[in-house]
Amino acid sequence: MARFVLRRLLQSCVVLLGVTLVVFLLLQLVPGDPVRVALGTRFDPQTYEALRARAGLDQPLVAQYFDYLGRALTGDLGVSFRSGRPVTSIVLERLPATLSLAVTAVVFATLIAFPLGILSAIRSGSFVDHAARVFSQFGVSVPDFWMGIMGILLFAGVLGWLPPSGYVALTEDPAGWASHVALPAATVGLVTASILTRFIRSSMLEVLSEDYVRTAEAKGLRTRVVVLRHVLRNALIPVVTVVAVQLASLLGGVIVIEVLFAWPGIGRLTYDSVQARDYPVLQGAILLVAALFLLVNLLVDILYARLDPRITVR
Amino acid sequence: MSSTRFRLAGATFALLLVAVAGCTTGEGVDVDGADGASAGGVLNAAIGGEPDQLDPHKTSAYYSFQVLENVYDTLVEPDANLEMKPSLATEWTTSDDQLTWTFTLREGVRFSDGSPLTSEDVVYSYTRIIDEKLNNAYRFGTVKSVTAPDPSTVVVTLSAPTPNLLANLGGFKGVAIVQKSNVESGAVTTKPVGSGPFAIGSYNSGDSIRLVRNDNYWGDKPKLDGVTFTFVKDPTVALQNLRGGEVQWTDNLPPQQVPALLDGDDLTVRSVPSSDYWYLALNQARKPYDDVNVRRAVAFALDREAITKAAKFGLATVNQTAIPQNSAYYYEYAPYRHDPNQARQLLDQAGVSDLTMDLMVTSEYPETVTSAQVIASQLGAIGVNVKIRTLDFAQWLDEQGKGNFDSFMLGWLGNVDPDEFYYAQHHSGGTFNFHKYANPAVDQLLDRARTETDQAARKQQYEQAAKQIVDDASYIYLYNPDVAQGWSKQVSGYEVRTDRAIRFRDVALAR
Repeated sequence: MARFVLRRLLQSCVVLLGVTLVVFLLLQLVPGDPVRVALGTRFDPQTYEALRARAGLDQPLVAQYFDYLGRALTGDLGVSFRSGRPVTSIVLERLPATLSLAVTAVVFATLIAFPLGILSAIRSGSFVDHAARVFSQFGVSVPDFWMGIMGILLFAGVLGWLPPSGYVALTEDPAGWASHVALPAATVGLVTASILTRFIRSSMLEVLSEDYVRTAEAKGLRTRVVVLRHVLRNALIPVVTVVAVQLASLLGGVIVIEVLFAWPGIGRLTYDSVQARDYPVLQGAILLVAALFLLVNLLVDILYARLDPRITVR
Repeated sequence: MSSTRFRLAGATFALLLVAVAGCTTGEGVDVDGADGASAGGVLNAAIGGEPDQLDPHKTSAYYSFQVLENVYDTLVEPDANLEMKPSLATEWTTSDDQLTWTFTLREGVRFSDGSPLTSEDVVYSYTRIIDEKLNNAYRFGTVKSVTAPDPSTVVVTLSAPTPNLLANLGGFKGVAIVQKSNVESGAVTTKPVGSGPFAIGSYNSGDSIRLVRNDNYWGDKPKLDGVTFTFVKDPTVALQNLRGGEVQWTDNLPPQQVPALLDGDDLTVRSVPSSDYWYLALNQARKPYDDVNVRRAVAFALDREAITKAAKFGLATVNQTAIPQNSAYYYEYAPYRHDPNQARQLLDQAGVSDLTMDLMVTSEYPETVTSAQVIASQLGAIGVNVKIRTLDFAQWLDEQGKGNFDSFMLGWLGNVDPDEFYYAQHHSGGTFNFHKYANPAVDQLLDRARTETDQAARKQQYEQAAKQIVDDASYIYLYNPDVAQGWSKQVSGYEVRTDRAIRFRDVALAR
């Protein structure tokens, strides 16, 4: 187990190294000049050259990359073009907002998707099943920003139950945090729940048609026991993967939702950095997201072994 | 299902929660009395985006200046009519040759941290902008030296008479007086120290900036205890925040709802004509736009009323010259009536047919995208096929800089003195003359007006230049937009300004 984790962590380092190179090269292909954006419309040419030099953009690309990499290895991800502040702290201070939104959204989604998906599968063709399918079709096809705006107009406007936007840190004021996270998490969670519901339903249906399920029923086990012990356990392996992939992608920040709800997370940081062509911050944010993604995948692999005794990690 | 199986999942979740709990956003040090019972209260203001940084000399973002307007001072500052009035400087004299300006500083001014603000700080601030070639260095083009003979006197020596020096030194907070130790420690980017009515309390990256009353302020003490700026990009959400009472002020109103809001009575919404202008520029380095007849044909083909209706829901004033009626340099001149026949004739004279014109607009300013569709249909009526190209602003600026366009639409914001916008845009050596307009007569007028110290003569020179610029259709000016801002009925003492400076120093909040 320890060797497995160690090997995977080493592999992750190689992947991250690749990420830095690919991201660096891709950003060079993006049209747009960060110096012009920073200066706006009124400046003279000397100012342009001076800022370009200060930002290190007058250096050759190869030098820029190795300079970046050398410092990144020591944990220094450079400084932002826009603010001149260290990227490491800019990115890390956005992490709590994104983590708390992503985790809440996934918890919300699983609380909806598991009962709905299971019911939908064991009562296939029933009213519940149809309702669940309409729900998941709605969730995946309606744009999340529209759902978000409708949520704001209803819960913040008409009903006045929740604040329309903003963020309060969980550590500062848990109740304030909960009221602020509710709308964005529900919006993101609905989309995730729709995807999960479909997946749990089909995965359950597949297992339900297995011979051992028929055997279990034939030997007189109660439906409840059959579903929970035999069907769900076996249906869970692919579902865990999907939940993890959903969580990992939410950790990358939900750009549209974060922008809409004025949520100070990684997604909004990415959006602002793209607008400003703030390459150091973009590189830092993408690196962090990639690292989180790898971590989540590692945890999932370990989880597989716990769920299914036939799988061992080596 | 056995509970041990899920122990690991539970542990993962707990780990994430711990990680969440272990971090807080920002490096905020909360020093304000927002929860205290003092009389003034804290005003919450929603602005459309986050400042890139708070160093007034290095930022060019309007969001930054919305905050910094309340934190910093300049030597002089524009009043409601954009005339320069004393601020840190109480009086000034000009030598007979107009090359030496001597400013007397206000007595007893202190930075918000209590340290005195002296002429050395003025010298430091201006020298920093000039020597480090920062954003506003162009405003100091004629400044030879800045010296401080004594703590309350600043002497600015010029290489040529500069009649708009006051506008250059006080037009906006980009030329604010900063504190040397604050700059050298690097804190200026997130926690700037100024001498204005408010000071930075805390900055939570991505979320909000809290200002607290500066008790060392030299002027009348602000009535508010503080102002909290939150960054709300979506106008619908910002309006909802205002309606719900989460914020008491915003300038991020959905434009299509402003006319109805002006008539409503649950909020105060005011709309005043701004000194901004929006225009269409044709690339004169490319054929056939080098031909004045083609440019004039486009000018005659446009129906400005229809454009402002579509793009600004009527919240704008059409104008064929740059600056609006309330400006001291307004020049009444409107030779282009909407006349497609005249336009077609001019195109015939130029020998142009089957013209396809590229029009570059940017999603950063949605009004350019909406206007472009109207412009395209109006030019379609005279047989010009417009291909609209919508880019994000970074790419837009890049294309503009390289001259890769037939035409573009953009605005020029916060205009105070004509030298600043006419010279940059219409002088053949201007830094913003990307459409390559060159008329020696205009160059000469702009050069002369730049150093003309007789105000009446200067105004006349700018009028001549303005007429020529419009006749040559160097820019095809379209409209001056209104500034619309809304606040709750609790707020009193706030005025919407034509230069869009946001000043909360005289505002009070009823509770």
